[in-house]
Amino acid sequence: MIKKYKFHVTGTHCASCKILIEDVLEEQGFIKNSKVDLKREIVEVETERTYTTPELAEILTKELKPHGYVLYAEKIIQDKKDNGVIWTAIPVGLVFLILFFLLQRSGILNLGIGGQMTPTTGFIIGIIASLSSCLAIVGGLVLSLSVKVAKDENGSVKKPFILFHISRLFGFVILGGVLGLIGETIGISFTFSAILGLIASLVMILLGINLLGILKKGTITLPSNIFSFFRKVEHATWAPVLIGVGTFFLPCGFTQSMQIAALSSGSFMSGLLIMSAFALGTLPVLALLSFGSVSFAHGKHATLFFKSAGVVVIGFGLFALLAGLAGLGIIKPLFSI
Amino acid sequence: MNKTVSIIITLGLLVALFIIFSGNSTSTNNDVNQVDSGQNIEMKNGIQYITIKTGGGYSPNISSAKAGIPTKLIMKTSGSFDCSSALVIRSINYQQMLPQTGETEIDLGISKAGAPIQGICGMGMYNFVVNFN
Repeated sequence: MIKKYKFHVTGTHCASCKILIEDVLEEQGFIKNSKVDLKREIVEVETERTYTTPELAEILTKELKPHGYVLYAEKIIQDKKDNGVIWTAIPVGLVFLILFFLLQRSGILNLGIGGQMTPTTGFIIGIIASLSSCLAIVGGLVLSLSVKVAKDENGSVKKPFILFHISRLFGFVILGGVLGLIGETIGISFTFSAILGLIASLVMILLGINLLGILKKGTITLPSNIFSFFRKVEHATWAPVLIGVGTFFLPCGFTQSMQIAALSSGSFMSGLLIMSAFALGTLPVLALLSFGSVSFAHGKHATLFFKSAGVVVIGFGLFALLAGLAGLGIIKPLFSI
Repeated sequence: MNKTVSIIITLGLLVALFIIFSGNSTSTNNDVNQVDSGQNIEMKNGIQYITIKTGGGYSPNISSAKAGIPTKLIMKTSGSFDCSSALVIRSINYQQMLPQTGETEIDLGISKAGAPIQGICGMGMYNFVVNFN
């Protein structure tokens, strides 16, 4: 006898989600027929086997989870609460942005550090860099990816963050040594890092919008492949490693200055020491951002945190985007912060 | 939070952000006026030297110099590691890391009226302009 089951579904933010869900469900041998109603966020399936609704929801969710969808036997009444949170999250995020840019404006970070470049000065410059406007791009990227992973994984996974930070340190150590070894300007191209920066800023803006959850389902739909790409990337081991090493090339004046210092240091060891001291200096703030996201994702105010982080990330993303376009000479510089 | 209260606060905060961004950058390193008073321009042996200090931005932000004479830019750095030391001047195809401390001379050729020189740092967050007239 064929029996009909009805579930509520979350995670459907694109028009083509319907096809994907139906495909996945019908790949399961025992599902005879499936139908997705995106507007009402309802999935209906027909099967000959007998389950209780929660049981079947759990079985099918196992298959759909990798694609980012979860089935529920009952509708979760979360939307109403979420909508209220955004009105707190926007001011909270903006206050954070204002404090950050005021810090840049204050001139506190413009310490003139002279003299010989030693690992100790490298470490101090690392700390300054991690609080400087570089945070808008490197930190913004770390924050947006961390929050996204923490949100999707319900905050239970720390492995990608540990991988990211270890790879970042190792990347700086090895690449710093290589720079010291080569000892001449191989031309760390401004244009190359500016383009990387633009990509990072677009990722931030996209993830920020996603975190805010302001895209009403059905009104604006994003291409599904962008988000399924992110999802795949999040679950891959190579992604945090690649992004960690990639931060070496992100546009940041401090990083580039240190690269020059490593270049002119004259040996593999001294270049390595300078770059690793610098990377260690930047670690506390970046680690705070990523592991802080995990603990907030567990906390009572998780929704508020996700949305405030979304506001901050969009702000950083816009800042990095406008600055990056100006740096490439595509638009006139709009500000000098 | 109440929606109306939130919108009012948000608008206030946006205005504050706008003010932060539109104001002139202040920097402990530089005590020269942000908008030039001509003090950073010097004539020596028929060559016009324009001095710009770096560190937490460029100072002065805007300079005006004479057109029609050989002109050189002197970038003065003192222990600066931030973006301002990654200097890009598109119009003359200049792209270089300035030394952490020191002076860098950049030849601008013969200055032309109405063709301002714009310098920007690699990340695009600091910039300066020299106008010629």
